[in-house]
Amino acid sequence: MTRIKLGSAVLRGTVVPVLMASLMSTSALGAAPVDLSKWSPEYVRSIAGTQDFDTAADCAKVTPLDYKGRLTFWYQGVFEGDPDLLRQYYKDFFETFRKTYPNIQLEDQALTYNDLLDKFRTALLGNAAPMAVRLQILGGTEFASKGYLQPLKPEDVGYSTEDFWPGAMKAVTWDGVTYGIPTNNETMAFIWNADIFKRAGLDPDKAPATWDDVIKYSKQIHDKLGIAGYGLVARKNAGNTPYRFMPQLWAYGGGVFDEATANPTYEQVELDSPQSKAALQASYDMYVRDKSVPVSALTNQQADNQPLFVAGQLGMMISHPSDYNVMLDLQAKATGADKDKAQTVIDNMRYGLIPTGPDGKRAVVFGGSNIHILKPEYVEGGKVDEPAAKAIICMWTSPEWSLKMAYAGSNPGNLNGFKTKWMKERLDNIKFLDVTTSMLPYGIPFPALPQSPEIMNIIVPDMLQNALTGAMTVDQAADDAAQKVKDLMGGL
Amino acid sequence: MTIVTGKAEARRRLQPGWSGALRKIWEHRADYAYVLPAIVVMLIVIAYPIYYTVELSFFKTPPGLQLRDKSFIGFDNYTAILTSQVFWKVTWNTLIWTLGSTLISFVLGFATALALHCDFIGRGVLRAILIIPWVISAVAASYIWKWIYHSDFGIIGAVLVGLGLTDRPPNFIDNVSTVLPSLIVVNIWREFPFAMIMMMAGLQTVPEQLLRAAEVDGANAWQRFWHVTFPHLRNVSTVTILLLAVANFNSFIIPWIMTGGGPSNASHIWITHIYELAFGRQRWGVASAYSVLLFLILMTLGYFYVRALSGNERKEGSA
Repeated sequence: MTRIKLGSAVLRGTVVPVLMASLMSTSALGAAPVDLSKWSPEYVRSIAGTQDFDTAADCAKVTPLDYKGRLTFWYQGVFEGDPDLLRQYYKDFFETFRKTYPNIQLEDQALTYNDLLDKFRTALLGNAAPMAVRLQILGGTEFASKGYLQPLKPEDVGYSTEDFWPGAMKAVTWDGVTYGIPTNNETMAFIWNADIFKRAGLDPDKAPATWDDVIKYSKQIHDKLGIAGYGLVARKNAGNTPYRFMPQLWAYGGGVFDEATANPTYEQVELDSPQSKAALQASYDMYVRDKSVPVSALTNQQADNQPLFVAGQLGMMISHPSDYNVMLDLQAKATGADKDKAQTVIDNMRYGLIPTGPDGKRAVVFGGSNIHILKPEYVEGGKVDEPAAKAIICMWTSPEWSLKMAYAGSNPGNLNGFKTKWMKERLDNIKFLDVTTSMLPYGIPFPALPQSPEIMNIIVPDMLQNALTGAMTVDQAADDAAQKVKDLMGGL
Repeated sequence: MTIVTGKAEARRRLQPGWSGALRKIWEHRADYAYVLPAIVVMLIVIAYPIYYTVELSFFKTPPGLQLRDKSFIGFDNYTAILTSQVFWKVTWNTLIWTLGSTLISFVLGFATALALHCDFIGRGVLRAILIIPWVISAVAASYIWKWIYHSDFGIIGAVLVGLGLTDRPPNFIDNVSTVLPSLIVVNIWREFPFAMIMMMAGLQTVPEQLLRAAEVDGANAWQRFWHVTFPHLRNVSTVTILLLAVANFNSFIIPWIMTGGGPSNASHIWITHIYELAFGRQRWGVASAYSVLLFLILMTLGYFYVRALSGNERKEGSA
């Protein structure tokens, strides 16, 4: 394993110019964390653009800019449902990294959300993993618990743990040890088409307040206009499904375990509770009873809902603010009358808070991604170039890049990202950002358990499919899913 | 007549204790040397994975642990598979998928080959067009068909609604009853050109003079087909059916991309189920046991395939 000591770096004269540069701007290393107790869209606006950061100077303190090395790196990258704007930021990041660290030979590989876990697991079995990996938030605990990851905390790359969301830090902590750093954290919002609402006889500027309202609105839209009301998604092995069903489950007071409580213990399986069954019943009512959601929901992902929404064939959906940019991209590709139609949809696109459950409970998945360093024995060639890995991690999790890489849809993992000038610019450029920042306090992380990927990607979607296809009743589907979780937790 | 050369005789004298098989190997040592590199490669990339899969099938591999923490459980994985409801459901799906796809592809391919065997204007163009589904990427085809079948905005649904034949687009792939037949149709669309090519090649080998002789003897078109053409195509038909069956048993792309085995496992076949068990749920031991069973079935089909080929060779040799 290659290690660079600070003393030897000073001796080589690399730190001096870096220290000079850091004095010119406020360093992220000493920045005070954002005050989460004051969190509101107004507070976010008040801190945006209040601090400058020099990413290269900050990262030079972790890995000298003239460091010579080689890094293999896999990451969950952009996919078909992301806007072109995000593609450009990803491109810019890797170009900037190569310019900042010209002597690090970077072999990077982008994989989509749904493919990354499968490929990474397979690579680990053959000791052919990359040196560093950026995984979806669900993955951190699984690989940490199995011993594949090296301990890695924000302090190792020049930041402090307080610079990151406490909920996100939980997702990279296993058995009291931190194994990664959050890159971005996201909470989605509720999107609707005001024109469709109006034509269906609903208040165009008012989002459904409760999930029961969603059911009613969805039926009303379908019955009056003959189009789908709510964009239900229930495909298996796709991250989109739990991101859309779990807020509903939690709002009704249910859960897989007690993950929606302040101090979850994950001891009791709650998928078969009356509240969880009520949430499943709500999906059943929309899909089977009212037939008010896309029939294709069982094979759809959110990327399939986007064209339906821009075509004016879908009234409501849960998604990121980035969907606004996706709609702009889709509109740009449309021709003739379709272009005008898409423009009408964009003009009528509204964002609001995700509805509450019957008891006023509002919830959203606190999602995101983490970055990790692998242990050498699982890496191709048996070596990890740690300074090179820390260089890219420092850059990606910096206030600047954690903000830019989440520009269109997500939020920066590093809370100092909210203070940057790019956040201010983003508040002006990206519509509806206030709504998702308002949803952040309602964010609930997935259970920080190694079994979470299977629960969220397979068991929960299976439960939905079993109920919605009539293969099982709602009760049977919930009981079956609860039993599967119990078996899984029991090691079966 | 056997000619014994002095060289061979001398060799036999040198190794008097060798059995007939070993002597044959020794005599063909140059041939074996030529195939040795291929055998070594096969041992590395085929034999070892097979051995490892068989070994792994006897171990419990808890999803929360690394693979090296596996524990020996004998035949428990096999028992668990054979007693699980999912196994029988997936096996039933696999049988329907394999038999449906294989037989219909073959019949359709054979019929098309017979049609294209006749001389008519545009035959070459038609032949080229019909091969397109086979040469198109299975991944691309799956995505295209997913949109053709789309339960809300698919082309088929739009046409049927447009013609007033139905109020709502038919639900092809989001329904447990219709999903598998719908996927089989896609598979047949992709595979029948293969059967067509094989059978067209076979038709070229049917002796023209036999057909003419039968015609002179008063045989009608059906009799000429049944008594002359078909017997000549028996071997190529067997090989085609076996190749299609093996490919379909192993088929992954179409069901995985179009439905991921859903909804509610209604389109899970063995190979997609194995993939989900291994890579989605990390039950490497159970997935390996499934793979061993699948391997045995495919080897059985392979045996018949080789037998069919050997039959061909023997026939050609004796002719």
